[in-house]
Parts: sequence; C-alpha cells; structure tokens
Amino acid sequence: MTKPTLNRRQLIKLFGASAVAASGLLGASSLAYGKDAHHVVVVGGGVGGATFAKYLRFADPHVKITVIEPNENYITCLRTNDVMVGLHTLDELTFSYEVLKNQYAIQFVFDSVTHVDADKKRVTTAKGDTLNYDKLVVSPGIDFRFEDYEGLSEALSETDLPHAYKAGPQTLLLKKQLESMRQGGTFVLSPPAGNFRCPPGPYERASLFAEWMQKHNPSAKVLILDPKNSHSKFGPFRKGWERLYGFGSDNSLIEWVSLNDGGRVTGVDIANKTLKTDGGLVKYDACNIIPNQKAGKIAQTIGLTDASGWCPVNRQTFESSLIPNIYVLGDSSIADEMPKSGNAANTQAKVAAKAIAAALKGEAPGEAIFANVCYSLVGHRYGISISAIYEVRDNQIVAKGKSAGVSPIVESPAQATLEAVYQKNWHRTFVKDVFG
Amino acid sequence: MKKITPWLAAGLIGLSSHSFAQTQKYDPQAMAWLCAPCHGTNGREFHESMPALAGLNPDYFIRTMIEFREGQRPTVIMDRVARGFTDAEIEAMATWFAQQPAEQWTPEVKHD
Repeated sequence: MTKPTLNRRQLIKLFGASAVAASGLLGASSLAYGKDAHHVVVVGGGVGGATFAKYLRFADPHVKITVIEPNENYITCLRTNDVMVGLHTLDELTFSYEVLKNQYAIQFVFDSVTHVDADKKRVTTAKGDTLNYDKLVVSPGIDFRFEDYEGLSEALSETDLPHAYKAGPQTLLLKKQLESMRQGGTFVLSPPAGNFRCPPGPYERASLFAEWMQKHNPSAKVLILDPKNSHSKFGPFRKGWERLYGFGSDNSLIEWVSLNDGGRVTGVDIANKTLKTDGGLVKYDACNIIPNQKAGKIAQTIGLTDASGWCPVNRQTFESSLIPNIYVLGDSSIADEMPKSGNAANTQAKVAAKAIAAALKGEAPGEAIFANVCYSLVGHRYGISISAIYEVRDNQIVAKGKSAGVSPIVESPAQATLEAVYQKNWHRTFVKDVFG
Repeated sequence: MKKITPWLAAGLIGLSSHSFAQTQKYDPQAMAWLCAPCHGTNGREFHESMPALAGLNPDYFIRTMIEFREGQRPTVIMDRVARGFTDAEIEAMATWFAQQPAEQWTPEVKHD
C-alpha cells in the first residue's frame, strides 16, 4: 500500500492558501509518517467517526489516522424515512470514503474491532490484525434492547419485525410491509422509551407513512403506541398532523396513545398479529417496533458503558470517564441535553478532534461548544425543526443562551415550506461536511 | 487580545452600540465549525439555499446575526441559532469567516 501524501497544491486546495500560509501547514507537505508520528485509531466510520477523522486532519496535518469500519460504503440513517415512502432511494443516501482516503490522507481498514487492550493501547480486529494507538476514538452508534419485549429478538427484526432504525436491508423490508398492508389496515408504530437515536425519527416516520396512506391506502391509519407522555417537537408535530392528516378528528390518519393511556408495548405475537401493551392486547396489520436502545456493541465490549447502558465522557473532550485515551462520540455517549442526532455527533467529533490534537501536543483543550440543528418532515413539503447551541456548565452539556427551541407555529405556510427545503439542503451539505 | 485589521475595524465603525473589543472564551474556528452542517465546510457551500459564509463582509455578518438574535429580521431558524451567541462571539466568527476563500469547497478526488 502506498502512503498517502499531500503536496503543497493539495494542501492549499484543502485548507485554503491563506490558511496554509498562516498556519505553517506547508511543513506537512509529505505525510510519509515518521517513526514518532502519533497514531489515532477510529472505530466506526459513521457520522461521528468520519467527521472526526476529517477534522482531526484539519487540526493536525502530521498525525496518522486510521478508521476501522466494516462497510466500504456508508448509508446514512438520516432520511431513511424518506426512502420508505419513495421520496428517495437508498443509493442516494450511500457515500464512499474515497475523498477522506485520498484527499485527507486517512487510512481505512474494512474490518470490525473485536478486542481493545486499553493498557497496551492496542486494537484487535476480526481478521486478526492488531493496531497500536495513541488515542482511540469509538463512534459505534446504537444497539437494541430486544429483551425488553416478550417475543421480540434480533433474528425476528431481520425477517418479520424490522426496526428499520439502522439504514440498510431493514429500511427496504419495512417499506415493503407498508406497501403490502391490506386496505384499511392499522399500522402500529412503537417508539422507544428512554434515550434513543433521533428523538423525532419515529414521529417523522408516522407522518410520512400517513402521507403515503393518503394517496395509496386512504382508509388505513397509523397508530402510535408510545411509552412516553411527550416527545420531540411535540407541538409542531401535532399542529402539522392536524393540518395534514385530521389529527384529533374521527377520520385522523394518525392516532397517538401515550404512556398514561396504556401506550407502552411489552410484547408481540406475530402468529396472531397482536401486541401486548399496558392498555391490553392490540391487533395490527403491519407493525414497527423501534426497540429501546443502548450504546453500540463494541462500546459495551470495551467496558465504556455505565449502568445506564451509555458511555460517560468528559464533556469538554469526549474522552471516556472510565478508560483513559479512549474517546466516545455520537449516539453512544452521554451528552446530557444534546440529542442523539447526526448533527450532534458531527459537532462532538469536531470538539474531540481539537481536544485530541491539543493533547498530542501536550496542550490543554479549548472550551467545548456544540450545536444541533435537526429537520423533520411532517409531509414532503412540510418541515419542522429543533435547534440549539450547547456549552458545558457544571460539567453538564446545556443549551447556551436562549438558543434552544422548535419551529414556531405560524399561520403562514412559508415557515413549513422553507423548512422542508432546508431539510433537503441540510442533508446534502451535511454529508459533504462528513464525507467530503 | 487579537489585533483587528484596519479594513475590518473600518467595517465595524457603524456598529457603535456593539463593542468588538469584548473578550470571549471560545476558539473562533471551533465556533465557525458548528455552522458547517448547513453552510458547508468552512462556510464554503455556494450551491444551496442556505448562504455561504466564507468571504462574507464581517460587518454584514455581525449586523445580520445580531438582527436575527434580536428578532429584527425575519428568518426560519437563524433567530434560534443566533440566540446562542454573544456579540463578542459573533464578531469572532465574522472575522474567521471573512478570512475563508469565497469559493466552493470541493476537495478533488485523486486515485493513486
């Protein structure tokens, strides 16, 4: 394998002429790593891992960066709800690592990590390779608590009851189940309890499924059985459902049952198409249980999780509170008020990139600052958002200033129409910030 | 404290109510990187509905952000975002973005 190198022209292309001149990046005209180059290994090439690798290259032109990721192409979980109703294809959500490899001199190993020796600072992969690291960054997404539901299992999620909460085959399986449901049928959607990836995701899914039914199965409905009494973007979703789907009326395409009304699902019987809930048995024609969640498997294996199932971190750097020199990004980390979103993972990755670059130079990290902007579709031309800037106060990540808020509910359709435009704009620009 | 270049200072004279000499505790680049998901890496996305920030006149950047924050300019989401930043932080971002090349961010793919 040839070592990736960046010449002066490429550096200028990457960083801009003034930045190259101002920051001494020209010294890094060759990345043929010296013996004493630090090595940062990244486990997981999703939003957190890929953004981190790219931005660590900005922060340190000399460091050797290796990403270990099982898939040669990455499908964003973002916008997979759109795929299930035919607004997009999975191909349009699939991205390669070519730019990161060739333009940012990041090495990729397509493999999975099976073991980490934190004392020796060494990673072992499924194919038997070992890599030594100075800093290890783990960004493994989520794992599911199938055991919280009687009759549910990982195997069943791949055949009959897809969660479709990781992008890929299950996305297409759930799409097929929506499309093949009988006329007038009930599609039951069960969101997770506790902390979970993409808090508005289940409600956006319900919205887009209702819009699809309007056209293809108008006497059907989406029944949300919720283990909570509220949810993300509660007001804007409700208003949108009223406007688009008759929410609250007898003919509503969406019905919502809260925890207090017996909405929690505790089991499933696929033979009889019945769910066991706090409120009794519920028949379904098609069903999407999005199970309760915990940190990705490798985070559990390494010992980065606490009793909550998630990974405690130093909020200023995202270094694990449990194991030094290992950092946890994205959905797996405990980030207090920050939601488990792609945009959150992206900004956590940038904080960690600066913190690690500083640590490798023996410097103290800067003050951490994060952001989240998240758009959801209530209909294909009706968008809503939640956003906030975050800072660290008393060792907790909290909203900064008065930045936290959801879309205002206004009579003019312009707000919702523009937010639907921005949702698409955001995804296109975001994936370029992550992968290119 | 960072020196403000004369051309930048000249652009700020009109904003007498907002002192640019305040200090703030964040790395300007760290703040600017937060804008990338919507406005592109280093604010250099020139092909989308959300405007590019690279090369923007700092006076315009500061005035616009403060008007968003104070509810003086109609917007979809930027009022909420701007409420997360102080005057000094907005000024630091304005300076940083003004220094970025005003051209599309397109890292060229090379296959060795």
